[in-house]
Amino acid sequence: MSFFGDLATIVRREWLRYRRDRAYWVGQLVFPLVVVGFIGFGLNGVVRLPGDGTNYLGHLASGILALLVGSGGVGGGMTLIQDRESGFLRALLVAPVSRTAIVLGKILSRTGASVALVLVLVAILAGFTPLRLPHPGAALLAIAAVTAAFVALGIALASRLRSLESFRLLAGLVTVPLYLLSGIFYPVATLPAPSRWLARLNPLTYGVDLLRYGLLDVHEFAVGASAAFLLVLTLAALVIAVVAFDRGSRG
Amino acid sequence: MHPEATTNPAGRVAPRPELAVEAVGLVKRYGDVVALDGLDLSVRRGGFFGLLGPNGAGKSTTVSILATLTTPSAGHARLLGHDVVTERAAVRRDVGLVFQETTLDRELTAREQLDLHARLYHLDERPRRVREALAGVGLERDADRPVRGFSGGMKRRLELARGLLHKPRVLFLDEPTLGLDVAARAAVWERLRALHASGEVTLFLTTHSMEEADALCEEIAIVDHGRLVARGAPSALKAALGGDVVRIALARPDGAADALARVPGVARVEREPGDTPERLLITVAEGPRRLAQLLEVARPFEVLEVELHRPSLEDVFLHHTGHAFEPRPAEAAA
Repeated sequence: MSFFGDLATIVRREWLRYRRDRAYWVGQLVFPLVVVGFIGFGLNGVVRLPGDGTNYLGHLASGILALLVGSGGVGGGMTLIQDRESGFLRALLVAPVSRTAIVLGKILSRTGASVALVLVLVAILAGFTPLRLPHPGAALLAIAAVTAAFVALGIALASRLRSLESFRLLAGLVTVPLYLLSGIFYPVATLPAPSRWLARLNPLTYGVDLLRYGLLDVHEFAVGASAAFLLVLTLAALVIAVVAFDRGSRG
Repeated sequence: MHPEATTNPAGRVAPRPELAVEAVGLVKRYGDVVALDGLDLSVRRGGFFGLLGPNGAGKSTTVSILATLTTPSAGHARLLGHDVVTERAAVRRDVGLVFQETTLDRELTAREQLDLHARLYHLDERPRRVREALAGVGLERDADRPVRGFSGGMKRRLELARGLLHKPRVLFLDEPTLGLDVAARAAVWERLRALHASGEVTLFLTTHSMEEADALCEEIAIVDHGRLVARGAPSALKAALGGDVVRIALARPDGAADALARVPGVARVEREPGDTPERLLITVAEGPRRLAQLLEVARPFEVLEVELHRPSLEDVFLHHTGHAFEPRPAEAAA
């Protein structure tokens, strides 16, 4: 019982911070609109997607949302470093709260923020792109799983690294290839053979595909398999994050 | 250091109920650096204990171990009877911490900060407790401002309020007045004295300020290089040095040393190495009372300067370690 109480307390604290973090909300809202508005419209006239007949604008918009969710997740993991730098983490660690509650609380709160952001953005983007919400369940699952997995990845990294600079560097090194090879900008099927195989090994590919199914009703891979794979992977990421944080917080 | 501390065959410390903190043979290594090198400590319940030493002596590491944040490389410690390694959860409930550096969430207001803390410790009547805690440190008017805009003194007072909010039975204060101005330091001292007088909490303070340890603590332990070098009441430690020192410079010093050595209470008279005028160091019990008499005897030798030096904890430290009390940058950084 106290575990869920503690979880709620951690989430509460993160939300108090988010509420005041205007840069986060503005940045997260403006970035996808700018990309879709300036790049999407331009490319829309030039790029013809093979097969499914959807236009490029929808493809890019849904892909950018996946990118947003992923980078937002890593940012959620980064708050752990900020907590360490501000010293707050020590106060948290000496309190009678389980490490698991701290980790899951951070993941849960960022996931909530992510879902809220994407819903607002879809509502806006629906005005000038083909994005809709034909399969809300699939979209929610994709957003939640990708956010949670990326926050978990960020927490695992942040548990070992001490400085914001090295975190940014390493997180970039890990995530940028994931973004580039996940079908965010073009369908995986259009890639040449070696990149296509790499993309198929990339877990994010299935998150992007599932989100696209949820928002556009198109997909490259079997929906059920993508969903199951994402769930398993996210659970594994949670376990890794909890273990890494527990190890990292022992002096 | 503690012959009375008994260990059972497994090497564990047998709990002693009269103690709030007991540690035996604490060792902490960080790679090649030995931060603690077999430290023994005991603090009685309700006491005001000071761990004194230069920067890098191992004070923060000790607190970190006793508060369950760091696992010792060797040795054992108990807090109110609970092992700090195997019974972390029980220890955490009983412990309050005021850290050396600020550990506040800068984005939260003072009230939110305390409310969060109250939730983490599962306290009831949160709004009342938070209100009282804020009033206790004079922060009611700033309760709803983000901590970001607080001065150093306000932050420290808020940390103190937070450390006390859950009524810990042992409060650790790691350099609680470091970097504070005189007025802010006085306010913190006053609050700590009141706490000690209430008798409800054991206070465990670390400081590198001799003045602070002397002013507040009823018992201190001096650490250097991760080892205990002396312990006792500040007055007893100073008294153990043999008394006060009168330093006297004379124009015609011939025969003065013998004459002064015959004054009652004088333990010894030494010539201070150095040039003219010659200076004598007279170790004497109750220096202020003997000073007039010493001057009377010294008058024929033409007194040029006189200085009464009462032993400070600096002298105690020098006496026990053989080196002056000053931070060594290389170790402070470790």
